[in-house]
Amino acid sequence: MQGFMNHKGDFLNLLKQKNYPLKIELPSETRQHGADIEIAHSTTVVAVRYRDGVMIAGDRRATAGTSVIYDRAEKVLQIDRHSVLAISGSPAIAYEIARILEHSFQYFRRSQLQELSLEGKLRMLSRLIRENLPMALQGIGGVIPIFALYDLNAADDKNGGKIFFYDALGAHFENVNFATTGSGSIWIRGVLRYLSRFGDTPLQEMDARQATVTILRLLDTASEYDAATSGYNARAQIFPNVKTVTRTGVEDIADDELEQCYAEAQSDAEG
Amino acid sequence: MRDEPYRWIEAIQDRRDYIEDQLRVGSPVVGLAYDEGMVLLTIGRGQRKIFEVHDRIALSAIGHPADIERLRMLVTDTASVQGFQNATEDVNLHRLTNFVLAHTFKQAFESIVGEAYIIKMLLAELGSTGDKNRFTCINYDGNVRTDTTSTVIGGTEAIETGMQNYLATASTGIDRDLTAALQLGLETWAVGKELSSREPEEAESEETQIDTTQMHEIINVAREDGEVEAGVLETTQRGASKFRLLTSQEIETALP
Repeated sequence: MQGFMNHKGDFLNLLKQKNYPLKIELPSETRQHGADIEIAHSTTVVAVRYRDGVMIAGDRRATAGTSVIYDRAEKVLQIDRHSVLAISGSPAIAYEIARILEHSFQYFRRSQLQELSLEGKLRMLSRLIRENLPMALQGIGGVIPIFALYDLNAADDKNGGKIFFYDALGAHFENVNFATTGSGSIWIRGVLRYLSRFGDTPLQEMDARQATVTILRLLDTASEYDAATSGYNARAQIFPNVKTVTRTGVEDIADDELEQCYAEAQSDAEG
Repeated sequence: MRDEPYRWIEAIQDRRDYIEDQLRVGSPVVGLAYDEGMVLLTIGRGQRKIFEVHDRIALSAIGHPADIERLRMLVTDTASVQGFQNATEDVNLHRLTNFVLAHTFKQAFESIVGEAYIIKMLLAELGSTGDKNRFTCINYDGNVRTDTTSTVIGGTEAIETGMQNYLATASTGIDRDLTAALQLGLETWAVGKELSSREPEEAESEETQIDTTQMHEIINVAREDGEVEAGVLETTQRGASKFRLLTSQEIETALP
């Protein structure tokens, strides 16, 4: 019966009561000198606010040192019906954070009979990132995610999509129109700022098709300059993960639609 | 007291009488399968009675609200931790019933110096295919009953028998839509409600003798100071979590 009077809906406390190891204990030698191992990381993930909400995308490459170890990694993960986490950094920790987050939101809803508030969701992610700080400081487990969600309580549809950026200590900042993180992000942050401020159609006014074409071009640009970011693999038909977060929920943009958008993006470039 | 078997049996019987007396006036709950899932339905007076336990498991109960809450949290916590430590697909009703709930109920019931749970619980599990749907009822003494297409919990066995008899005559399998399932559920609930208002000896009579007009009247009277509550586990729901409570507009379509 242990733990059944946990009425706060706190999934982390419940896991602790059940002795689930939330932290990885490293040998003291590793703690002092850092790890001499190659950890898979590097990425470009990008989120933009568009007319219906938020579009969020990530490339598919996972690297360790100079080696590509996987080219179908999922870096944009649905957390609940209206929120998505895009991960960059150590995949092992990032996937675990995403999994705990997903289960925490569900547990709160099931135990407390109401959805966790937007603020509550943001704080839960902050707490997970902060708990991971020792791993981040040792240089082997840092995670810098983007959290995007649709706020059903927003005054109007234009303001429903929200994008939050986190630092390694767990502080969160709301990015009004766009966010990008990962090793390739430095190559496109300026482009995003330009598009948002001076584009013919500002990001936030684009429809889904325009936003998809734009986001694919941004990832293409990042992959051009960042060895750890993959582009579109035509031979193997591997596309980036692209999801939308709108009032109706989280949806994947299907590969055949992405293929059409790629053709549009490339034909304009050639023209 | 345990070394005096007769007194122990007597104490258990006293406890059974006490719990059944407490449960007798509880608002029944009906569980029905339909073409796109499973529905749990009751009419309550403000206190929520239908809950999501896990991705494909829902719960309802009659009894003391504090006991319902404690046991709901026990099964929700267990399912949540199991789903996280293994995989959500590893959480199933059989394990929750047999390894967590049934023995907890039995232990509390037979520990005659401790408090017993005043509860009857109904759990529904949406299977990967229709024939794998499961309704499980757990009695306050830990006894378990499993059905695939429909089930009921009511205050006494006689009430449950009357409701089951009505379902057997009115039901034509699971080939019904949600509205038809809600209508059948409400009528079955009305049978249970009527039986719970009778004296115990009358309720045991096999003849329920309630026509449709009377059922509708019972439902309408109950709605004056109560509310129809229905939750579904539906195969058409996007994502892993299949549970949702029906809106009042959806319920409205089935009301008499």
